[in-house]
Amino acid sequence: MLDEATSSGAAGAGQRPPGRAAWLLLAPVIAWTAAFVVAPAAIMLAYSFAKRGTLGGVVLGFTLESYAAALDPVYLQIAVRSIAYAALTTGLCLCAGYPVAYVIGRAAPQRRNLLLMAVMVPFWTSFLIRTYAWVTILKSEGVLNSLLVQLHLIAEPLEMLYTPGAVVLGLVYTFLPFMILPIYASVEKLDGSLVEAALDLGAGPLRVFWRVILPLTGPGIGAGVLLVFVPSLGLYAVNDILGGGRVDMIGNVIENQFKGNARNWPFGAALGTLLLVGFAAVYGFVNQRQRAASARPLRA
Amino acid sequence: MKRLSSRLLVTLATLLSLGSAPASAEELDLFAWSEYVPQPVLDAFTRETGIRVNYESYASNEEMLAKLLSGTASYDLIQPSEYTVEALVKEGLLLPLDHAQLPNLKNVGAEYWGLPHDPKLAYSVPYMQGTVGIVVNVQKIAEPISGYADVFQTKYARRIVVVDDALEIVTFALATLGLGPDAVTKENLEKVRPILARWLPLVRVYDSDSPKTPLLNGDVDLGIVWSGEAARLMQEQPGRFAYVLPREGAHMFIDSLSIPKGADDARAAHRFIDYVLRPEVGRMISAEFPYTNPNLEARKLLGDAERANPASYPPGNPKLATLRDIGALAIEVDKLFTDSKAASGP
Repeated sequence: MLDEATSSGAAGAGQRPPGRAAWLLLAPVIAWTAAFVVAPAAIMLAYSFAKRGTLGGVVLGFTLESYAAALDPVYLQIAVRSIAYAALTTGLCLCAGYPVAYVIGRAAPQRRNLLLMAVMVPFWTSFLIRTYAWVTILKSEGVLNSLLVQLHLIAEPLEMLYTPGAVVLGLVYTFLPFMILPIYASVEKLDGSLVEAALDLGAGPLRVFWRVILPLTGPGIGAGVLLVFVPSLGLYAVNDILGGGRVDMIGNVIENQFKGNARNWPFGAALGTLLLVGFAAVYGFVNQRQRAASARPLRA
Repeated sequence: MKRLSSRLLVTLATLLSLGSAPASAEELDLFAWSEYVPQPVLDAFTRETGIRVNYESYASNEEMLAKLLSGTASYDLIQPSEYTVEALVKEGLLLPLDHAQLPNLKNVGAEYWGLPHDPKLAYSVPYMQGTVGIVVNVQKIAEPISGYADVFQTKYARRIVVVDDALEIVTFALATLGLGPDAVTKENLEKVRPILARWLPLVRVYDSDSPKTPLLNGDVDLGIVWSGEAARLMQEQPGRFAYVLPREGAHMFIDSLSIPKGADDARAAHRFIDYVLRPEVGRMISAEFPYTNPNLEARKLLGDAERANPASYPPGNPKLATLRDIGALAIEVDKLFTDSKAASGP
């Protein structure tokens, strides 16, 4: 965060360095971050090098055992599967969310607020309750199957619940607003005259989209991708409720180390640390791409 | 659903604790399984004794241990299963019970004394007992099902629910090898590996919280579940479901009330235990959670239908083994289950 602040400060030439008052204003945020982001991560790191306690918990010390255990190919396989689910979720959220965000961003101001509200409404209900609602819809004697049978579109109920498809559906449903909102923010800021100029200069609609609209909404897409990809990688409740827990996601494996038979906290902490490093790498990658993109002249 | 309701209960408990009784009133911090202690039982206890009960819930023994050991909260009463009682006693983390304060302990059946985890009930008093057995939707499955081997057949692929518990599933496989639940060793786990490789691809749902839900919804037709879940299925839809104890060998679990070291109010905890052991209170618990009631006097108050439910009270009252604390072997069990699941996935 500090890095970002200094770099944007450097970009905006002539900005004063933050004074004492600014630091004072920042203090609560810094304290909050230290207490709830830095400290837990440090504890997790320390635990990952500790030894397993008999009843759970840890015996502090230094061993690389947990990291050695994490190198077992099965955890790599599970990590790859989790990444694949998260990537698919992100891709589908982008395809479904971009047009929605664009329409909302270009709508008349009063309608815009109404539409934005519609995107937010699901947040008024607990995530778990909304996920259980999908069970009611997808189960074999559920709403969707009954409807399809009634309409004579299918003869037998389809097997929809407890499938990989149901898991991806649940993830896309959960995270779609996190894609729509940041893209909406950049669509709203999009300067319409640039689009008009491109059209005037003879670019077709497709070309305008690829060369003007898409690059200008890039920051929103980047933020949306991060906001969807990172949490969907770690969320395991959807996998349990809609997927029947038939395969483990990396989140399930970590949960089992704390709440399952193994009671192996150091191993769970090691997996968590590796996941955190992975997140940081993804974040760094997306951030760098964006900087490269914004540094590139528009004509490139 | 348990996940949900446990959260609701915590919220409710918090709200209640905000709204009632002056701060000086005596309090009992109860840390128990979700969906296991009926609210009317707690309310009646508070009315009688003036002791307010804070019911905080958990969904696995290990989750309970994690919170207990973190030391961030102190509890007066916990509700561990037998293998966790064994582990806690080994580590010296439970207070010895004062039987003089528990006159109703005489109501506990003789079969609950002398068990390996706590033979003299010196640290734990049985709250509810259950079995892990097979539930079958008899309207969908005509063939007789009487053992694990009957459940895990290729013709039932994707019609099976099992509890999402590595140790439980390993003991099912051990039973088909003629081994009891206390036979968890490294060598035996290797024998279990090929069995799980055959079984797990057939499973449609793993669910420990509410395995009755996919059965009730018609998404699966048979399963291996907690007896209380099966008993509720049979109460809700009589004639649709049947429950049997696997012929290869079943085991039981006993969830007990224990007082952890460091409890603020051991006297109130004893009062609560003795209150729960009253026949009419045990009857209230059975009405809502139809597991096997270890309280023989409470059993006498049950209706004929409740007593005849084979999921709650298995015919012939078979003698069943219990799970034991397996120490660090739990890591191997977890790894075996993770491997087998990873190899079986869709």
